[in-house]
Amino acid sequence: MNPLDLSTPTGITVALLPEIILTLGALIVLLVVAWRHRTAGDSRLAGQLSLVMLAASGAAVAWLWVGRARAAGIALMIAVDEYRFAAIALILISAAATVLMSLRYMEREELLAPEYYPLILMGTAGMMFLASAEDLMVLFLGLEVMSVAVYVLAGYDRRNIFSSEAALKYFLIGAFASGFLLYGIALVYGATGQTNLVLIGAQLAAGQVPMMATLGLGLLLIGFAFKVAAVPFHMWAPDVYDGAPTPVTAYMATGVKVAAFIALTRMLFEAFPGTVQLWQPVIGVLAAVTMVVGNVIALAQRTVKRMLAYSSVAHAGYLLVAVWPGTRMGAGAVMLYLFAYVLTSLAAFALLASLGRGGERDVRFDDLAGLADRRPWSALALALCMLSLLGFPGTLGFIGKWYILQAAIAEAHYLLPVILVVTSVVSAGYYLPVIMSMYMKTAHAEPSDRGLYLPRGAAFVVAVSLVGVIVLGILPSGIVDVALRTAGSIAQTVAPVAGR
Amino acid sequence: MRTFLDSIGYGGWILHALVAIPLVGAVLVALMRGRGARHLALAITVMELVLSLGLWWHFDPAGGMQYRAAVDWLPRWGIQYSVGLDGISLFMILLTTLLGPLSVIGSYNYITTRERGFYSLLLALSAGLVGCFIALDLFVFYVFFELMLIPMYFIIGIWGGKERLRAAIKFFIYTMFGSMLMLVAILVLVWKVGAATGTLSFAYDHLLANSAAAGPLAPWLFAAFALAFAIKVPIFPFHTWLPLAHVEAPTAGSVILASVMLKIGTYGFLRFAVPFFPEVALGPVVSGIMVTLAVIGIIYGALVAMVQPDFKKLVAYSSVSHLGFVMLGIWGATVQSVQGALMVMIGHGLSTGALFFLIGMLYERRHSREIAAFGGLARVIPLFSLVLTVVALSSIGLPGLNGFIGEFLVLIGSFEAYPWATGIATTGVIFAAAYLLWALQRIIFNRLDNPENEGLSDLSVREWLVLAPLVAGMIWMGLAPGPVLRRMEPATRQYLEQTRPGSTAADLSAEVGR
Repeated sequence: MNPLDLSTPTGITVALLPEIILTLGALIVLLVVAWRHRTAGDSRLAGQLSLVMLAASGAAVAWLWVGRARAAGIALMIAVDEYRFAAIALILISAAATVLMSLRYMEREELLAPEYYPLILMGTAGMMFLASAEDLMVLFLGLEVMSVAVYVLAGYDRRNIFSSEAALKYFLIGAFASGFLLYGIALVYGATGQTNLVLIGAQLAAGQVPMMATLGLGLLLIGFAFKVAAVPFHMWAPDVYDGAPTPVTAYMATGVKVAAFIALTRMLFEAFPGTVQLWQPVIGVLAAVTMVVGNVIALAQRTVKRMLAYSSVAHAGYLLVAVWPGTRMGAGAVMLYLFAYVLTSLAAFALLASLGRGGERDVRFDDLAGLADRRPWSALALALCMLSLLGFPGTLGFIGKWYILQAAIAEAHYLLPVILVVTSVVSAGYYLPVIMSMYMKTAHAEPSDRGLYLPRGAAFVVAVSLVGVIVLGILPSGIVDVALRTAGSIAQTVAPVAGR
Repeated sequence: MRTFLDSIGYGGWILHALVAIPLVGAVLVALMRGRGARHLALAITVMELVLSLGLWWHFDPAGGMQYRAAVDWLPRWGIQYSVGLDGISLFMILLTTLLGPLSVIGSYNYITTRERGFYSLLLALSAGLVGCFIALDLFVFYVFFELMLIPMYFIIGIWGGKERLRAAIKFFIYTMFGSMLMLVAILVLVWKVGAATGTLSFAYDHLLANSAAAGPLAPWLFAAFALAFAIKVPIFPFHTWLPLAHVEAPTAGSVILASVMLKIGTYGFLRFAVPFFPEVALGPVVSGIMVTLAVIGIIYGALVAMVQPDFKKLVAYSSVSHLGFVMLGIWGATVQSVQGALMVMIGHGLSTGALFFLIGMLYERRHSREIAAFGGLARVIPLFSLVLTVVALSSIGLPGLNGFIGEFLVLIGSFEAYPWATGIATTGVIFAAAYLLWALQRIIFNRLDNPENEGLSDLSVREWLVLAPLVAGMIWMGLAPGPVLRRMEPATRQYLEQTRPGSTAADLSAEVGR
């Protein structure tokens, strides 16, 4: 494929093909459900159509990736590199998995409003823009499109007070975070006269970093810290994750996290590579605090969903350790860890959705007692999820953690890795009780999953994810190389800090 | 024998087979239908044992690391699935494969629920153990080191006693804490060595040859390795997980845990922690600490064992004491003391394994392990009592049985370097006699005053099958330790040369002559 000239209509269309297809798809599905939105069958149809749209968008990404698409000169507005393609692929995977696990779930929970699916598609388009943004304005647009869709999704179970609470909380905090982000963008623009990431980087590398840009960077970091739920900006996450319908929680924990982390990494690497000394301490402190607080609070949880919510905060901390070095290996570690985390979380939430009712808020550890006897395959799958989240060898979660440790240690930094492994041990204190309940305790009279089963769509998600987690965990060579290669494709115009 | 083994290409595939057979077996057992799980598991472990026995003849006593093989795993990061065997690991492997079928036979009656799961985990565990002992790549070693945790966690947690949940999680978290810090230390060492030599590699030889690159970080790295292994051994203040795990685990779990898994800790010191950082490890400060802890472990373990009302707990604490001798031997750093440490490792594996089996058999008959519940058993079940006496004497270190050789060599070898510590450790032998003989007296002698003990049946054929090989091993190693020592010696020498760069082989042989 020739380099794409993004200033021509053809060039930009080809570069944006996945997003365009998905946005069009969202509109088509929306049109269909405008006429057909009454029965369960209509809802299912909308879901199936959405899967088709996601697949089409995925095919476009694959075409661009295989064709080694790249931009001619500096990419304007939108990145055209492997880092973007990999991120989009991850986002599409998480969206498709969400749709698959929603199909039966929405019927079971009697949430038969098929607008759900177009919302997922739009949110996904927003995520893709966010992860692809080469320009702060695109970044902000992507963020808003994504966020607005997810606010609605979080409150989708409108008869459930906790779901409404989740939506309201997410909306208020999200708006607040957007404010920080927008202010940061304005200040950076004021200091450099640019919104393009690479051009900002070039501008800042040329001389002294103006105070205004530093301030802007700080506000941007706060905005992102809200979005990825890094401590101390994480307060919203447990309630929102807990209150939202479980497939939506899965979507937030995976898709939103991928988009935000990829955007954060790209922004720091392209716009602020020369100012590592400014943001490294901030990211380092955020990472340390997030790992410690997330893991310790997760230890105190008694319900599975809330535990997973806090564990998701802890994982954001691990990912920040990967961002910290500012090296190519670090960016690779972000991608690899996100991949591991997405696969495992999708499987875990899909399983959780089959273990309770009414949003699964009430599934306590004790409710899992005896699951190994009732549903051996579900129990085995959930046990594997826990081990992968714990970062146990033989799973992709371990490879991800190993790679993060390696990225930090390669920079001769040892404090964050030590905190990472020690807090990982703490996390055994809440992942293992899940396994313990399922295998080592006897069931009580009224298990929360009575009459429930893992529907076919969700089972497919679980099976595919876990096969991936195990196979790639045992034979990680290929995936590790891909992660590193995608990281190498990030544009670096400034004397790179990222030597490796 | 050797020609026959060569004719089937034995050396080329044996190490891979020893890991692969139990792994495949674990899957087969887990997936099979019907109730034949234990028979299949027995067949697989017997096959593993038979195959591994060939090593006894095929292993070249004069050679160093043998049966090397390496397959690329993560080539970009210099990670290979790399294995090999020397005189130190040889006996650990044989111990593991010997205890495999014995634990399966020993569990035939004991395990009655979820049999497939149990035997499958047992097989996976033995694959992990073998892998740990043959790994010559730090990444591979780490993976096996961690992988062993899961099967043991489930074995304790599902088939264990009353406190099994607490025991399982305590065991898991203690071990994981140490091993995670070790992972960081491994990575730091790899990158330091990589920066110094330009080759990024997790290979054992490469790291060993260039471990000086760690520079000022060496004490920290040693501390991380040492902590991981100290928890596993366990050395005195890190031992608190052990009594709980040993007592709560089902018989086969206790046996594997005590006989083989604890040895991973001491093996780790011999293979990694000390050779990588000899200046730190054998320097005055660390030596002082380790020897002190070893001696405290010997005495403390023995004293606490003496007052246990529960026979299984008594044996568990006696492990702390015995492993103290191993640590003393390692830090004695002479040919005798290190060989002695290895002999204690094997001897403890045989005798403690047998003790746990015997306790399990007693428990199956009486559903109690309280020493006070027994008395006068020699009159009711004489053969059982005979075996228990022999095994206890071996554990005490009676000359003519295996326990004696190891502890004797450790004490002789360490005396010169640490006369005081060795002197105090010697009293540990006396304490061992005290706690075990006292327990014997209360269990099999004394008066038969509990009517529940009257109708007990003596050892069955199946139980003889479990105990006979262990007792035979004890007597054989006690009477003729030569062949074993001869196979260990080159590896021991090599180990000492690595840890003492100044000394030559001539010095070492002079030392043996003395």
